[in-house]
Order: sequence, then C-alpha cells, then structure tokens
Amino acid sequence: MTDARVTGLATLPNGTYDVPERDLAGEVLLEAIDDAGCTLSDVDGLYMPKPRPWTDQGFFTTLLEHQFGLELAESVETYTGGTSGGHAFQHAVGDVRDGSVERAVVLAVERNSTIETDDYLEYILSIFDREFQSPAGPTIPGVYAMSLQRYRYEYDVDREDIASVVVKNRENAAANPDALFDDPVTETDVLESRVVADPLRLYECPAPCDGAAAIVITRGDVADDHDGTGDGVRVGGTGAHHPSSHLLGVRGRSLAAFPAIAGAAERALGDADLGVAELDVLEPYTPFPHTEAMLTEELGLFEHGEGAAACARGQTATDGAIPVSPSGGCIGRGHPPMVTPLLNYAAAVRQIRGESPVVDDVGTVLTTSEHGHIDGVTATVFGGDA
Amino acid sequence: MEAASDPFWDALEDDRFLLPSCEDCGEAFFPPSRACPHCHATDIEWLESEGVGTLYAFTRQHRTAPGVPSPNVLGIVELEDGPRLLAQFASEYDDLEIGATVTLQTREYAGTVDRGRLEGRPFFEARLRD
Repeated sequence: MTDARVTGLATLPNGTYDVPERDLAGEVLLEAIDDAGCTLSDVDGLYMPKPRPWTDQGFFTTLLEHQFGLELAESVETYTGGTSGGHAFQHAVGDVRDGSVERAVVLAVERNSTIETDDYLEYILSIFDREFQSPAGPTIPGVYAMSLQRYRYEYDVDREDIASVVVKNRENAAANPDALFDDPVTETDVLESRVVADPLRLYECPAPCDGAAAIVITRGDVADDHDGTGDGVRVGGTGAHHPSSHLLGVRGRSLAAFPAIAGAAERALGDADLGVAELDVLEPYTPFPHTEAMLTEELGLFEHGEGAAACARGQTATDGAIPVSPSGGCIGRGHPPMVTPLLNYAAAVRQIRGESPVVDDVGTVLTTSEHGHIDGVTATVFGGDA
Repeated sequence: MEAASDPFWDALEDDRFLLPSCEDCGEAFFPPSRACPHCHATDIEWLESEGVGTLYAFTRQHRTAPGVPSPNVLGIVELEDGPRLLAQFASEYDDLEIGATVTLQTREYAGTVDRGRLEGRPFFEARLRD
C-alpha cells in the first residue's frame, strides 16, 4: 500500500457569500488544483460531504463533474452531520492508499446564510429521535449544555476555566485571516454574553456561517513525480469510532465522557504509528469550550476534569506544551459544519508547511471531526514518517 | 407489521409506561428496538414501569423551534428501571437539581413536529415528584 499526501489546498474565508454554492465550490476547486501544481485532467476522484438539506442544488458532485469536465474513477457524497467531511476525506485517503485513485479532491461547501433560524431549528429537531425526543423540542446547544453541566458537576470544574477556552480560541482566530472573528474577548465578556441554553452562553456557541474548502490528496509515488509544491504533507493515519450513542451520551456511561474521541484517536495514532506525546498540535472539531477541554482529557493529555484548567494555565496556547486550535477552531473561526473538518485539515497542512502565523516547527498534527453530541468521531493525523 | 414502539404508545393512552426489556439478558432499554442494544437478542418483553427516576441533567433553552415553548425546560431522566430518556419538564427550571426524584406523566402533544402515525396521540413529560 502506498501513502497519501496532501499536495494542494484552498479555503475561502468564513463569512457570508451571495453566489451559489457551485461558484464557491468552483473557486476552491481551481485554487486547490493550482496549489497542487496539477490540472483538472489529473483528478480521478471527487469526495464531498453532501451539501446541507437546504442547499437547492442536488446531485452536487455530478454537477461539478459535468461543469469541470472531470472523468472520475470514484465520486462520493457522504452525510453524517459534522463528520461528513471527515468521512469523505478518509474515504478518499483509503482509495488513494489502495491505488484505486491517484489524485483525489475532497471538497466541501456550505451556506448557512440561506436558511432562516426557525427552519434550521426545525431541521435540527429531525436529527433527534423523531418519536421520542423531537416532540420535546431539543436543540444542539441544549444537549451540550447538559454535558457541560454534568462535566462541572462530576469534576467540580471552574466556570471561568471553561470560558478560558473561548478566550484562547478567539485570540488564535484573530491571527487567522480566514476566521469569522478578528476581535479577542475576555472571560467576563464570555460569561456575561446572553444565555443560549443554561448554562451555555452565546460566546461559547459556534457561529454558523458560509464557507468552502478543497484539498488535493495524491498517491505518494505520483506526488514524488510532480514539480509543484514538493512532495506534499503525508496523511499519517486515519481512524473513526462510534459507540452506541444518539445525542444523549453513550448508554450506561457518563454524559461527561466522550469515548468516541478516544476510540477514533487511538485508531488514527495506531495507523500513524505515533503516540499522543509525539503530537505537536491538535486541531479538533470541538464546537463548545468544554468539549475541547474534554477532548484533551480523552486523549490522555490531562486527567479527567483538568483540561479546562490546563487551558487557563496556558498549556494549550500557541506557546504552550500542546497547542490546541491554533487556527481558532470552531469557536474562533466560525462554523460551517460541512466545511469545518476540511478547515482543520487545511490548518494542519499549513502548520506543517510552515505557513502558520502562530506555531512553528510543526511535524505532526491530530485533527478530528464529530457529529451529534460527539456520538461519532473521525480522527486524522498529518505528518509523521512513512 | 407492527412498529417496535407501538406497545409503548398504546400503553401511554392509558397513562401507563411500558419499557422494552430483553428476555435474554434482562436489561431494560430505551428507545424500543427490534433487538436488545445490550446483547442483541431479539426476544423482547414489556416491563410495566412506574415512570419514576432521578434527574440526571437539565437545561433551559432560550431559542427554540417554532411550536416549541421558549424558554423550554428539558432534562434527562434516569429511570429506576435503568434507561435514560429525554423529557420536557413541567416544573420550573429554578426548582430543578441533579439527583432530584422525578416522575413521568402523560400529556397531550400540542407542538408542530409531524409525528406521522402518532399524530393526535399523547406524549409524555416529566416533573418533580410531589
């Protein structure tokens, strides 16, 4: 089996766009191809998270293939909520590694500016158990509010320490030109912002926005031949895990635990033949501050209940022992969930390329994506030796 | 063909709470399923539940979907029979605390979620036990 390398990428700044999704997709497709030093004719695989249900255009990959004259060995659209981009990427990596595809493009596009809040909340009701949960009217912040409550209840976690994760990520985002937010906030700002779902506050919730990204994954031996941007950044390992869980936590387990993270990371690190201690940076998909803290605990970096305090002490800052979300993460960058996994991958690749404005000498990065209430997780490691 | 959850909804019409329980491993579970999520056996019996449990976690949502009260008080109830479930709360948010004893009760469903074959049938909610 050969290895898979990221040889090109493109991201649009998160924000609001008034052109159709197809144009956002076309923009990042062409830019990523250019960044990879290849042509559209070289692409033989297209992998997308299926655009959101409120996207007017259906059969999106088929449209792109026709618009851009692609002839593909494989094209895939996946939809598993927030892990859609993660699964699309991992599917592409698998095909490139096994040789069925030489050069894959993973592409994501999302416009949240086209859906009214009421319609979005009705869509969210549909992802809960339609018979037994939806009629009670839950929301995504509502279930994360309950895991935050349990996390603090079980581990006596300081409320200000939770808010420090937001402060860190907003500060990191201020250095990221693609981020939605460019102004730092204080813990007081966070804890005095309006309540969305007790005890979660507005600044602790990810801001929905529009976005698009594309990543070119090239088979190792093919990447060695081209004369574009070098050999690319190796996809070191992939993994995924989904315990028995649907938005209310894993059956029989505490709601203050997200075992899908540990399971996915263990598989990805095993695939990469790396230990947690060998990671230089984390770029996780953690939309709420307690989930970033809990992720660092699930990975074994800190004791359970200590992740938020570690952030408050600066251990996960860009100059800390293990920088977490140097790109700003979901909270600082803004959050188009179909695109967010690719933004994490792009951040990782740029850091390894030496293009990050806030971290240097990065050789290995662990990224994640998750869906629901961290019911399922993908983990992808970038860098490391073949 | 009968839906896996029909016995639950039929009993709820009579203010009774039935929980699916595995005849093989003896574990009650929720929601209803054609196989036990613990051991995957397919022989399921229905357990008469008191609908009593403890409050595991709760929240008050301030922005909700159309047809849902705002604010909306929700909690996860850990039933004495074992399973956890999500329920809207008839009690005031400020009166709730983790570990409080709560009870399920039947109520008419007045929201706008399309419940399909269950349209017009009662739903359930939770409240602090008197």
